Amino acid sequence: MVEKKVKCPKCGNINTISGDPGEVVKITCSSCGNPGKVTFKPIVTDGDTVIEVFDLRKEYGDLVAVNNVSFSVKKGEVLAFLGPNGAGKTTTVEMIESIRVPTAGTIKILGKDVSTSFDEVKEQIGILPQEFFSYERLTVRETLRYFASLYKNPANIDEIIDAMNLKDQEKKLYMNLSGGLKQRVGVAISLVNEPDIIFLDEPSTGLDPKARREVWEVIADLRNKGKTVFLTTHYMEEAEYLADRIIIIHKGKIIAEGTLDELISKHGDESILRIKNCKSTHTLNVLKDKEFDAYAEGNGDIAVKIKYKEQILEILSLLKYECVDYGTIDIRRSNLEEIFLKLTGAKLREAG
Amino acid sequence: MNLKFIKTDLVLGVRAWLRSKGTVFWTILFPVLLIMIFGAIFSGADEVKYDLALQDLDDSSDSQNLTRLLEESGFFKLKIIGNDTDISTYMEDNDLAVGLQIPEDFGKKLDELMGNPTAKLNLTYYIDPTDSTVPNIVRGIISGIVNGYNDMITLSPSIVSIEEETILGEDFDYIDFFVPGMIGFTIMTSMVYGSIERNTKLRKDGILRKMLTMPVTRYEWIFSKMLFMLFLSFISTFVIMVVGIVVWGLNIQINIFFFIIVICTSFMFSGLGMIIGRFVKDQETADMAGGAITFPMMFLAGTFFPLDQMPTFLQSIAQVLPLYYVNEGLRNAMIYANLEKTLYFTGFVVVFAVVFFLIGVFLTKWKED
Repeated sequence: MVEKKVKCPKCGNINTISGDPGEVVKITCSSCGNPGKVTFKPIVTDGDTVIEVFDLRKEYGDLVAVNNVSFSVKKGEVLAFLGPNGAGKTTTVEMIESIRVPTAGTIKILGKDVSTSFDEVKEQIGILPQEFFSYERLTVRETLRYFASLYKNPANIDEIIDAMNLKDQEKKLYMNLSGGLKQRVGVAISLVNEPDIIFLDEPSTGLDPKARREVWEVIADLRNKGKTVFLTTHYMEEAEYLADRIIIIHKGKIIAEGTLDELISKHGDESILRIKNCKSTHTLNVLKDKEFDAYAEGNGDIAVKIKYKEQILEILSLLKYECVDYGTIDIRRSNLEEIFLKLTGAKLREAG
Repeated sequence: MNLKFIKTDLVLGVRAWLRSKGTVFWTILFPVLLIMIFGAIFSGADEVKYDLALQDLDDSSDSQNLTRLLEESGFFKLKIIGNDTDISTYMEDNDLAVGLQIPEDFGKKLDELMGNPTAKLNLTYYIDPTDSTVPNIVRGIISGIVNGYNDMITLSPSIVSIEEETILGEDFDYIDFFVPGMIGFTIMTSMVYGSIERNTKLRKDGILRKMLTMPVTRYEWIFSKMLFMLFLSFISTFVIMVVGIVVWGLNIQINIFFFIIVICTSFMFSGLGMIIGRFVKDQETADMAGGAITFPMMFLAGTFFPLDQMPTFLQSIAQVLPLYYVNEGLRNAMIYANLEKTLYFTGFVVVFAVVFFLIGVFLTKWKED
């Protein structure tokens, strides 16, 4: 059952109405009595869908932290839930993990409604909460043994230690590990039940670049093993590097969704080919004559907007033919940071 | 009930605890140190001499015999005062906490009262009320000496007495009083702070959120943690008792009420910790709140000193403090062997435990808002 707020077209009164996804519900405005119909959007999924979120909403008083978001996650994909701090990422993922209670909406994991049957999916999911720190005075092996003892069919601890490259650290106390290793242990803990779906909430936040890269390799390995990973992050590089699909969330709303290529082609600018330190003065004219969208950047560089990839080869041949002397060639396409800036008017790391 | 998890939680919990030297110190060594220090101060009376102002207004052979007894007891350095000096002024001028005055015609009245079993002849005992310890200890010693004197002069041991009653029974030392209080106090602090840590640090570290997503119920988790807390309670109680017995020759009785009180006290103060942790989310602030509750309770509930020494209004406060019932229950169960009072105090401890623990469990929640 989903709750929806509907504005009466006649008097503007806000009516609250409940219904199941796909259901058409008759409504009468509580203020003016105007009759109407409300259609609840059906959840469109296929057989591979393992997480279904529909019209999920979370309110804290007047603040709407998550504003009716709907999406699904397919089996075996790494989904990056990308957004700045305060965008609603953790609130969303914690509602999916049943840590927080939604104000409205439906969440299904492996076909089970988490509001009523979350216990039934606990054995199939692994979770690394945000800013997770385990027991300080247990060794890595003891930590894994501790959490594994909760499950009916725990994974082999030795196999996890080997897979996560923790063999040299297994006897060290958790408190003595570096930040990167702690996160690696955190991911390892989320694997002690051999889960089908793994939720990683900002796994690399607060880590130095080297430690962050270590965590990425661990997640990439999970992807290679065919695990479904729900990753929340505010690092665009992380999403670009790891995700099969990206959902961008801002101020509680999903503002874009798709693969990296889809997002760039839909929301990004054209790619730019830059001829650095071009010594030939007439190169710009030649490019223009060939109807390229080229312009001088004032520092000796020439920029050319690329509409389709064949243009790149054409430009390279032209440069060779003209025997133009230049420094280097740089081709750059829009990244998630720019897409976020374009969609919201704010920088990803500054927003929120 | 996931017994595998409960066993793992207990075993690894103990192992992690043993690795934390600071926690082990505060749970075991600190109470042991306190017992050694307090025991040395108050129980080594044969090595400590108290200054006692003595004014013999009679100066008869009987009063001199009593003076000699006091002197030979080894407990006192007597400051003999002349008859023309005011004993109170002398004590004040010389910074003495206790004084004893043998009345005029002591010997004569003693002769008259001999053989009369109901007769009383009072010595006057002067005390400095600002000193909360020495007068009570000395009162007990004088009472013992006076009894010995009674035995010496007559078959009826009750002719000569001092006007005030002794607070500590003549068969019990201060250490007998102190050790049960120390057990109650140690369990209280371990449970309150342990519980606060579970409800604040583990929440902050995300462990409670993690637990919420794993196949364990809140009740299984609390149960496993309570087993660990009971382990702490019994190990600290055991160590305190061993030190009391070995070092200070404490005579302890172990009975079912002792176990009931220790277990209920553990649940009671764990519940109190849960309540604090529920309302004060930050661990440091919660620790301060815990200290603000346990520290005054430690003094007001008769842990270190008998309540009789406190002003009446403070004694009334003690009646509503759970630690008071724990301390008195343990004393009556372990030391005084007073079944009636043991039952009375144990009953209160059980009720407090049920109320505090249930409220604590009810208020403890894993889900975030």
